[in-house]
Amino acid sequence: METANSVYRHNRNVRICHWINVIAFCYLVVSGVHVFLDFPELYWGKVGFRGHPAVFRLSDWGISWDEAGEMGDRRWGRNYHFLFAWISVINGLVYVSWNVWNKHFRRNLLPSRDELTRQSLKTDLVDHLRLRAPEAKAAGRYSVLQKISYFIVIFIVSPFMILSGLAQMPAFTAISPELIDLFGGRQTARTLHVVGMLWMILFVLVHVFEVFVAGVVNEVRSMITGKYAVQGEDTE
Amino acid sequence: MKKLVSRRKFLAGSGAAASMALLGCDSTTYLPPDVRGGLMGAADVLTMATQRLLLSGQPLAQEHDVSDITRDFPTWGNTNPRQEDYQDLLSGEFVDWRLPVGGLVNRPMSFSLEELKRLPQRTQITMHICEQGWSAIGQWTGTPLLEVLRAAGDVTDEARYVVVDTYDGWYEGYDMFDVVHPQTILAYGLNGTDLPLGNGAPVRLRVERYCGYKNLKFLKSINVVSSMAGIRRGTGGINSDNDWHWYAGA
Repeated sequence: METANSVYRHNRNVRICHWINVIAFCYLVVSGVHVFLDFPELYWGKVGFRGHPAVFRLSDWGISWDEAGEMGDRRWGRNYHFLFAWISVINGLVYVSWNVWNKHFRRNLLPSRDELTRQSLKTDLVDHLRLRAPEAKAAGRYSVLQKISYFIVIFIVSPFMILSGLAQMPAFTAISPELIDLFGGRQTARTLHVVGMLWMILFVLVHVFEVFVAGVVNEVRSMITGKYAVQGEDTE
Repeated sequence: MKKLVSRRKFLAGSGAAASMALLGCDSTTYLPPDVRGGLMGAADVLTMATQRLLLSGQPLAQEHDVSDITRDFPTWGNTNPRQEDYQDLLSGEFVDWRLPVGGLVNRPMSFSLEELKRLPQRTQITMHICEQGWSAIGQWTGTPLLEVLRAAGDVTDEARYVVVDTYDGWYEGYDMFDVVHPQTILAYGLNGTDLPLGNGAPVRLRVERYCGYKNLKFLKSINVVSSMAGIRRGTGGINSDNDWHWYAGA
């Protein structure tokens, strides 16, 4: 129900893309782990194989090669990883082009010069660390730390994940060997793909934590209906 | 001279096939022989069509320096087919090994290892990329598949796929886009020696723009066909028969 105390917070495109992304992200992580379990070592440089010096070995953490292989289903993993990679890429392209076009990014996501001052960043950081929910007036828009972290995940980490994924594909040894060299070799690209995933999981954990801090019902409702209550717990 | 003309004709033919494909006339360049149902099939088509479009100039896979070669090239999967016919050939050091090339070629024939080695050869230092995650760089020496087909009198107009069978029971179909690629070779040498047993002796396939699972080992026969339908489960290869991607560019 529309009330005087709610603001329209997320446009429809943002809401739809957000939930598609939630599903795609979960599938990508789980299927990626399945693929990894089938070859549970990470290397650095161009080449890497069983017996080659590794930068990470799951067996060092108490799970042997064979145990990992039994835990993972690589056929399922491969099929779903590539399916949801496409869903994620298409969803991301729609999201980015739509919100560049309707100026959502420029209006709401790009930090203003005032926000990027040391004082403003400090205030926002302290607020976050004290788990202080944003004040009613500010709740309709993103805080500066939110803006910066969304900017990083959308425009830096997501393209990084796509490119480090492509750099592992044999077709790209012909399409763009430069891409593989840019990463420092195929195995480095594979390892960094895993590091990028860990960064993204950390981002999601903090994101979900903040949703609970700010009020999970109100936050989730705003991502479903678009409306965000700015005063009191119940506006309906 | 006659040979040269026939080779030109073949190349011109494949060039025409490629440009036809670019105009959307030949679906084999963009579609797997058997598209899976549902979203999975849609993703397969998106991947293959996009990559084939990006590869339409037929660029070579990256070739590396001698210093990049992995000296002890890893072996993976089957490293010694237990099949009796293979074991017989192995104990005879592959002197009796013959590679029949048949189907839609004008002059079906079979090649001994020596005959294969007498054809034009190509050596390439490329990266083997396993879909499971490992990679290694090897120096492969072999006969381009195109040269073998030329020696068998070229393929006929109806030819769409080359089916490769192996002694350990594997088989895969390759479309003409990959067949005509210069780096698609029947490799009999690795890092300056005969192809070791664990790497697919006496001859394995190198299709450099594909994952390892389409780079078959222990070659047994080559068959040129117009369609993959009716061959085993009809999906185009043993991997896609088992619900893996037929197109292995990744």
